[in-house]
Parts: sequence; structure tokens; C-alpha cells
Amino acid sequence: MIRKILYATLASAALTVGAAHATETIVWWDFLSGGDGVRMKAMLDEFNKEHDGKVHIDATTLEWGVPFYTKVQTSAATGQGPDVMTYHESRMPLGISTGSLSPIAPEELAAAGIKASDFGPANWKAAQGTDGQQYAVPLDIHSIILYYNKDMLRKAGLLGDDGKPKGLDGAANFDAALAKLTTKEVAGLSVPNDGATGWRIFYTLLNQQDGQFFKDGKFLDGDNLDKATTALAEMQKWVKSGATPANTEYPASIALFTSGKAAMHINGVWEVPTMVDLAKKGQLFDWGAIQIPTFYAHPATWADSHSFAIPNRVGNPVDPAKRKLVLDAVHWFNEHSLEWAGGGHIPAYLPVQESAEFKALKPNSDYSSLAKTAVFDPVSTLAGVASPVYDASGNYVIPAMMGDMTPADAAKKMRDDLQGQAK
Amino acid sequence: MLRSKRSEYTTAAILMAPFVVIYGLLFVYPTIKMAQLSLTDAPLIGAGKWVGLDNYYRLASDRLFSVAVWNTVYFVILSVVPSTLVAMLVALGVNRLKGWTQSVVLAAFFLPYILPVSVVFRIWSWMFDKDFGIAQNAVQLFNNGQHLSIFRTIPLFMPAVAFVTVWWLLGFNVLLFIAGLRNISTEIYEAAGLDGASRWAQFTRITWPLVWPVTVLVFTINLILQLKIFDQVYLFANGGRVGATMVMVQFIFTEAFQMNKGGLAAAASVVLFVLIVVLSVVQFQLLRARGAR
Repeated sequence: MIRKILYATLASAALTVGAAHATETIVWWDFLSGGDGVRMKAMLDEFNKEHDGKVHIDATTLEWGVPFYTKVQTSAATGQGPDVMTYHESRMPLGISTGSLSPIAPEELAAAGIKASDFGPANWKAAQGTDGQQYAVPLDIHSIILYYNKDMLRKAGLLGDDGKPKGLDGAANFDAALAKLTTKEVAGLSVPNDGATGWRIFYTLLNQQDGQFFKDGKFLDGDNLDKATTALAEMQKWVKSGATPANTEYPASIALFTSGKAAMHINGVWEVPTMVDLAKKGQLFDWGAIQIPTFYAHPATWADSHSFAIPNRVGNPVDPAKRKLVLDAVHWFNEHSLEWAGGGHIPAYLPVQESAEFKALKPNSDYSSLAKTAVFDPVSTLAGVASPVYDASGNYVIPAMMGDMTPADAAKKMRDDLQGQAK
Repeated sequence: MLRSKRSEYTTAAILMAPFVVIYGLLFVYPTIKMAQLSLTDAPLIGAGKWVGLDNYYRLASDRLFSVAVWNTVYFVILSVVPSTLVAMLVALGVNRLKGWTQSVVLAAFFLPYILPVSVVFRIWSWMFDKDFGIAQNAVQLFNNGQHLSIFRTIPLFMPAVAFVTVWWLLGFNVLLFIAGLRNISTEIYEAAGLDGASRWAQFTRITWPLVWPVTVLVFTINLILQLKIFDQVYLFANGGRVGATMVMVQFIFTEAFQMNKGGLAAAASVVLFVLIVVLSVVQFQLLRARGAR
């Protein structure tokens, strides 16, 4: 009996070893735990099925934000960590400055079929260091959009024949529209009260005035301070006029919109699955989503990009053969990024972004125009996802919006705070 | 039986060795390393240049750090005394109950203590949610019929977090007091009753002095715990005005893990370490001296 078990164990062990030889494993870390994470898991399953017996991706989802980037930094420094990981383009200055990312040579990219011309220029460049080397390959562009309740907009005379809102462009027009939409029971616009959302709206409004948040080592230099004040004053107006409920927590702000207590809602594209799923269950009104209206001189929207990067594992680098497999996989995910678009994101890979299938995908194609005028976060180790700039937004942008600080005071304090940290 | 001093020393050394080695390796050595690190400009990972006391000078003039120190002290004041007093009152009440009612009531008070901090945060942030929270019905009464975002109103932030913390940790403190109260022999009360001592006299002359050592213990445990406050403040303030609600451990976390400044974070850690040692030793000695009177 014992002998039998022993043989069986040996045999299965031998099989495992045999299988391990045939199949290469790619260790993968990501931070995608929301509605988009579900879609990523489906894509991973598809990849593993398609490459059965050859390549297997062993994926782990970790906590988004500071914990993720700390873990990447500490593991890379000690020669541990994955073969490939997701990385926000906005946070790459930090990863490059701490030496956590491994540059990808042009020959390696070419060998995997990854071409710069397949991505938007700003998008591709945001994955480069100041040394001009490529540190990542973009997967998507994600941004904030304006969600709207078609019935309410129609009633207020703000819906065009194409089912899209009309007359929202220009700060004065937007405010007038809010006034029309706001009643005793219904808010015109709901906005989450977290610093991250505040930053995204503020940066959008700043860039629509050609304002520069950070330039040549200086935050909000010269007349950029006035432009920042203008942006903050506009946001404050929404709350002061009573169109936007003050201090609405993230989930509550979505609930206000989905329960018909707010006519419009500003949030990230990643909440598109929330609306799509509700609508599928018949629990949502007729809704739509568009690019953030143009308040000032020209359209511009804050954007960031999920990208793939290879960690610089000190003393234990990812070997060239594995790097080839990783880049092949990255290219595969870009070619299949139509599925990723189901998470609300806009595919970074232009052949998919410009494909007929994506153009038919609603509501993504209604707001995908934002990619053309997308503005990425300032290039600084202090900026990007979960950075001091995001914290500064919580400290100054949100209080200004809620009326706890004057816009001018908040803009000045934000500038001084960040400039102090830059030393 | 005669035994040589030498062999006793050897035995003692062998028996103590595992503890001394582990204590030295996992506590003393890292502490020394941290003190060393605080004198350099090291990033989160790797070595840095010697900068002397620069990090400490920087902390002294750092506005955010002084906010963090003040908030930490403020939070300790708001949470330690109330949690000790409330725990004693609850323990006195629970102690009067008998049999299964006592067990049930004690369990009810203990229940929050077994929850992880993230669950505690979720429960209270939902209850207090500005738009949909059930507690807003009560908040309205004090705010002209308007809803109020408790955790985004800076003057209310620390008291609210302290309240949640007292609620969360109460059960454990009650348990310590119950243990103390049960140690008091009933004969003393019987004797006092025969001598005609009133309820109040029994409490001030018997219960209070005899339960004093436990009070000191609960106070000290809570003092040390709350000086290290981080989780609740971090969770409730996340995305909000972290600059106004910063506490010391959060400052250390931010500097080290977000700003990549290992040296400065180590200096702040040393300051916190010294603060805890000084405060807890001083208060323990003071309270013990009073109790021994």
C-alpha cells in the first residue's frame, strides 16, 4: 500500500516537473480589483487557454496605490518580484527615480511587434524617462467623463436629437444648465469628495485654460496661479449654488446618480461597468456618458494610462528569454484590448481604438474623443496616482470646492505646500 | 543541597539565551539601526549619506510634523481618559449582574473588539455617511436639520474618531476591570456593610483603591496604544484633508513609503519612540505613587 502511494506521488511529481519544463511561467502583478479587474481575469484566462502548454501567466492582484508601489520598490531592490506588472504612467517618474523599472530596448520592442506608431504620441511618451528610454508599454487611457440622465436632460431641454447633451460648453452655460437641472429633490451634478476626483476635475479645468501645473521645477508659477484660482472658483460655484451636494462620499455620489437623485455625475470611466450592469438588470434609466464639456478656451481632459512595465530586479534580473515572452504577452493584451474596453477604458493601442468594433462599442465611443486632447499628469516624483499632488488635492482642492477655503487661498497654499516638498 | 554559583549562572544563561537572542535580534538591533538611519538622508531602500542631526532640525521646523504631534496628543487626551473611565463604569455595572445575563452583556460589549479596524471603519463610515447614513437622523437634530459630513468637518474629526475608537476597544478594557473587581473579596464588602458603610463609601474606600492597579494598567496600555494611532485616522481621512488630520505614525508612513525619505521617517520614529517611553514611564510612576499613598 505504502509503496503504491509512493509510486503515485513520484509519478505525479515527475509529471509536474515535466509540465514545468514545457510551460514557461510569467509572474504577473496588477492592482486591478474593480469592475475592470474582473475583465482582466477573463482576459488572463483566455491568454492562458490560448497558450496552453507553452506560456502560463501566474497573476496576483495587489492593493492599489501606495501599498502597490511600495511593494514593487522594495521587492525590486531585493531581487524579488514579478516578471511583469501593471503601472500607472503618471507614477513612472517615481519608479524610474528609485530604479525600480527596467528600461525596454527598441530591439526588444521591435521583436515583439510593439511599435510607437501604434500609440498616441503623448501616451507613448508618458512611458519614457527623462533619459528618453522606454520603461513601459501603455494598455489603456482612462479619464473622467460626464455621466448623464437622458430623461432629466430632455425635460430641461438640454438633450440634442442625437441623444447627447447640448449647451453644456462654456463655464457660464454649464452653470446655467446646472441651475435648470437642480430642483428640491434632484441635484444637478454629483461629485465624489475625494482628493483624487478633485484633482482630476481641477487639472482638466486648468488645462482647458492652457494652465501649467508644474513647469521647470515650479508649481503654479506666474499666471498659472490665477488659472488655478479660476478652476477652483468654478468648482466651488457648483456646491455654493446648491447644484452639487457638498461632501458626498464616493459610493454615495454614484448612488445619488443611479437612484435618480442627481441628473449628472462626474467620475472615472471605470464606473462605466457599474452603469452597464445596472442597465442590463433593468435597474437604470436611459443614461449616457460624454467627454467633460469645454469650460474654457479648448477641450482638454485629465488622463492617465495603465501600462505594463518590467521591474528592475537587482541581482536577479528577468532573463532575456523571459523578457521576450513578457513583451509578446503584452502585445497580445494590446491586440485583445477591445475586451479591456468593456471596463470603460479607451484602448491605448490605436489599431483597436480606431477599429470598427470599438467604434460600435457604447458608451465608450461617445467619449473616446477625449483621448485626442488628453493631458497626462505633470512629470514629477511628487505627481501621479497616490502621490503628494493627490494628497494636496484633498488638502486644498476639495476644501475650496466645499467652500471651507477661498479659491485664491487654496491655490496659493497648494502651490506653497508642493513647492516646499520639492526641496 | 549544595550547588555552585557558577553552574547556576550557566543554567540561567542557557535558559535566558533564547529570549535575549530574539529580543536583541528583533528589537534592540533594529532600534539601533533606526537611530543610525535617522542621521542619514537614506531613501526607503538602501544606504544614505551621513547628515548629522539635519533630519531632526527639519522635523522641528516642519509644519506638518507639528500638526501630527499635536493631533496625536489631542487624540490621546480624547480617547485614553474616556476609554478608561467608561470601561470602569461598564465593568461596575456588569459586575453586579449575575449568571448568564452577565455573560451575554459582557459578550455584547466585547463584540466590537474582535472586529478588524477596516470593518469598524466601514460600519461607522456607513452609519455617518452624509447622504445615506442612519446616524444623520441624530446629527440633523444638532445641525439645523441639515446633514453634516462628520469626518470631513475638521473640528469634529478627532472627537469622532476617538468616539469610534473608545467604542471599538471598550470590551477589552472592561474585561481587565472585571478581572480586577472579581479579585476583591466579598468579605470586605460584607464587613463594611455591617459597619454601616454607604454604597458611595464602599466605592470610594474599598473598590476604587483596590481596583487602582488595574486602572493604572488600563490607562498605560491605552496610552501607549493611542500614541501609536494610525489605522482609524488613515482610513477615515483617506482622500480628505490628510494635512489637517495627520498623526505621527501616519507622518512616518507618508514620509517613508510615499515620499521615499527613509532618514526623515526614521528621525520621526525616534521622536515618537522617545515620546512614548517618557510619557508612559512618567505616567505609570505618577499614578502608581498616588495609588500607593
